[in-house]
Amino acid sequence: MIQGILSGNPMHKILNKTVFSKWVKELRSSKIYFPRKDDSGRWNYAQITPDEDAILDVSQTTLPPKKILFPQREIFLEFSKNIEGDGETLEVKEVMPEDGSTIIFGVRPCEGRAAWLLDKVFAGDFSDPYYWKRRNQTTLIGLACSIPPSENCFCLSVEGSPHSEEGLDILLTDLGEKYYVKVLTEKGEKLVEAAKKLFSDPHPEETKKAQAVQAESEKRLRRHLQEARLISEKLKGMFHSSLWDEESMSCIRCGICTYLCPSCHCFDISDEVDAVSPLRGKRVRTWDTCQFPDFTMHSSGHNPRPDKASRLRQRLFHKFQYFVEIYNQFQCVGCGRCISLCPVGIDIIEVLDKVRSHGS
Amino acid sequence: MAKIEELREEARRLLRDGKVKYIIGYGTGRDGWRAVPIFIRQPEEADRLIWNPTCVHNLSRFLADEKRRQAREKKPDRRPVGIVVKGCDSRAIVVLLQEKFIRRDDLVVLGVSCEKTGVIDEDKLTDKLKGKKPEKIEFGDQGEFIVAAGNEKIAVSAGELLAERCRECRANFPVIYDFLTGEKSPRPVERPFGSIERMEALSSEERWAFWKNELEKCIRCYACRSVCPMCYCDECVVDSISLAVTADTTAEEKAQKIKWVQKSPEISENFVYHLVRAIHLGGRCIDCGECERACPLEIPLRFLNKKLEKEAKELFGYEVGFDVSQPPLISCFRDDDPGDFIR
Amino acid sequence: MDRNVYLPQLARIIEIKEEVGGPRPIKSFRTKFVDGPGFIHRCGQCAMLSVFGKGESMISISSSPLVKDYLQFSVLKTGRVTTALHELERGDLIGLRGPYGNGFPVEDWKGKNLVFIGGGIGLAPIWSVLQTTLLDRFSYGELTLIYGARTSRDLVFKEELKELKSKMPVYLSIDVAEPEWQEFVGFVPQNVSHRKPTPENTIAITCGPPIMIKFVIQALKELGFADEQIYTTVENKMKCGIGKCGRCNIGFHYVCKDGPVYSWAELKKLPQEY
Repeated sequence: MIQGILSGNPMHKILNKTVFSKWVKELRSSKIYFPRKDDSGRWNYAQITPDEDAILDVSQTTLPPKKILFPQREIFLEFSKNIEGDGETLEVKEVMPEDGSTIIFGVRPCEGRAAWLLDKVFAGDFSDPYYWKRRNQTTLIGLACSIPPSENCFCLSVEGSPHSEEGLDILLTDLGEKYYVKVLTEKGEKLVEAAKKLFSDPHPEETKKAQAVQAESEKRLRRHLQEARLISEKLKGMFHSSLWDEESMSCIRCGICTYLCPSCHCFDISDEVDAVSPLRGKRVRTWDTCQFPDFTMHSSGHNPRPDKASRLRQRLFHKFQYFVEIYNQFQCVGCGRCISLCPVGIDIIEVLDKVRSHGS
Repeated sequence: MAKIEELREEARRLLRDGKVKYIIGYGTGRDGWRAVPIFIRQPEEADRLIWNPTCVHNLSRFLADEKRRQAREKKPDRRPVGIVVKGCDSRAIVVLLQEKFIRRDDLVVLGVSCEKTGVIDEDKLTDKLKGKKPEKIEFGDQGEFIVAAGNEKIAVSAGELLAERCRECRANFPVIYDFLTGEKSPRPVERPFGSIERMEALSSEERWAFWKNELEKCIRCYACRSVCPMCYCDECVVDSISLAVTADTTAEEKAQKIKWVQKSPEISENFVYHLVRAIHLGGRCIDCGECERACPLEIPLRFLNKKLEKEAKELFGYEVGFDVSQPPLISCFRDDDPGDFIR
Repeated sequence: MDRNVYLPQLARIIEIKEEVGGPRPIKSFRTKFVDGPGFIHRCGQCAMLSVFGKGESMISISSSPLVKDYLQFSVLKTGRVTTALHELERGDLIGLRGPYGNGFPVEDWKGKNLVFIGGGIGLAPIWSVLQTTLLDRFSYGELTLIYGARTSRDLVFKEELKELKSKMPVYLSIDVAEPEWQEFVGFVPQNVSHRKPTPENTIAITCGPPIMIKFVIQALKELGFADEQIYTTVENKMKCGIGKCGRCNIGFHYVCKDGPVYSWAELKKLPQEY
């Protein structure tokens, strides 16, 4: 499980931006990720060398930090058959993620919240050892959003906020020349301790300023989904609505909305064979999506979700109804990626608005 | 200039007379300025149709969905479907007709001419507006774009905002249509395959490094495939089980299906997927550029497909998507086709 | 340290029996854990069988938990993994992880009459309950089996059914008449209506193709069975088996974890998307 939230009050500190890279350098024994612009002009979390100049406040990354916590491909186990004497032996060996601490800087509060939601999924009755090995080794240093990183952000509507703390180990709030540092967990505390001379205690005005910046950031969100809890209730009665058919007409059944969603977690497990005789191969986990037509298809050819309408319905119900039934939380964190990147402009807020006003 | 009122009137007429069961066209998205695909069924809805430089989508992609829908219905409505097409999109329809994937009677093609301009590249627009939020983009009378953003309207020359593919466009008006709005004025193209020349100038090591760098980003979301009108196969090289399984398909048949490409986004698998898809589109791709636009990681997929379009023209004199009576490229041959690769 | 939930234990196939030949073959595999802790299951639970190099398949455990010597799986050959399973021989090793799912509430049924209604391979998931009640005969009331298949060849557990007839009423059926067939000809739901099991103090347990389950439930309700008296076990495509990969859900339930056993009262509240 995640290491403990700090007992007692979270630690508050101030870090001057001029010494920020000194702090990063102190942490160089870990793998460090920052948002980085690639050659096509898109931001993505990438590993940096400790000497690189690192920028924190960037527009939304294409891929969320989920790709580091829950990689698109990971090896579960390796199997091999060996001929020994008259017979064959079969060896099956688990392959755990490598040891080594990882630090991700610049995680947006919605992305931290998504990690917190993924934690719920991968814990429970059967704890997922691969996810937790990575999760426990990873520290998330969040950056509160002073302005929305995307034009489609709506975190407030799904019970998050531009400065929420779930899932994060440290939350930085940008005060202009300094960062207000709120240490939330023991993992976060360790990182601050590693360079504690760089941190100072906040003056009361600085604390006030941080609060003001955070309050102001809430007003800057441009999009809202009204009454999300009401929509969640209303969905229960709309399983058979014709709305799903209409709204899914332009869906092209790709995987963009789900692969880029910070809290989507569907996956596939398959065997990849490297050699046939003697048999040698791996069992791997890869991302999968409920939007692909064969996601739920039985071997017999029977498919409980044979059309786009039922698959769009599944995505929206899972995020706004089923997840709420199980965990009493929305599975959507309001990052807006699915809206910004859908090639045909399907807008989850628009569809849910129609759910809310349906029948009235 | 293409007149939206003419298009709307024609759409209204078709729907009112029940001549088509629905019309696939462009409408304004929720954000108020970007076009999105819309499906209209009632004559009143014809007013929702728009025509502006954000109409980038190739709507012929939805013809495969219509076919699948009919296959699922017990008593399908066999009336034709209306579809709004630009020049490039109409070439896709020509290819689909050549391959007999759809029948001419199943379509009412509502053509719109781009005349001297085309559609915009959204990244170029973002760069131009420098943070200002666009409110409306329209065609100007002289082939420029009128961009309304942040309470002002500016005229921007087409060259600054045009999508790359429009700069190499050889079909600025529909090559097949039942109705057309806008002039069929040919537009000179500086260098038809200009963007490829950049790639061809690189050495093969440089090209390998370029594609390795790009394809490592691929997350195999298959948006490129999903948005392509020509990728209509029920059984694609990347799908591990056939979507065309019936109750009679035996277990052996399913067990023996070869998994050509692993689901893992390893560089080897990504290469195979993209190269096989490009080859499967040889002689079929009409360079609508949608694959590249849809890609969330901005992989320059147009290069791959455009190269094969160029090969089709240079090696075989084959122009993709202009003449319905022409057979598909890979289903025909000439006696004097180049054979120098046979040693 | 908890055992890795995705890591199968190795098990050896100690016996293979061909239940059904022809185009829809079914084989029963009896397996024994090679080493490691093994596991004890409840009636109705399933396990993920691994054929390394091909994949995994979620199969019901058809032997009773009271039988300690082996775990039995009856597998219909239908796709890549099951075809590979059918090609294995006695002595071969497979992977097993489990047990998964919620199981039948067999304890709650003590003192009640039980009517088992199966179709085709659907007898296998409820066979474990049947075997358990037979091994603990006096804890339960009257036992009845109504079972049918497409043809006489498609019936599973043919020898066991012959033996069973001496212990309890066994009403078999096939869809279309065959020359040697003496028993009921028709679909299983029709046989249910024909045999008229009484609902008083009775639980009906049914499994088979989805269409059969639908009509069996209809027939049982016409006979006066309440929704809480009808139990079934559903299936869906599964990969992880532990409620994480997001694939097998019916509504907010994951069939692998919250199911596969449901009373009709519970199942009808969920969206009928399976």
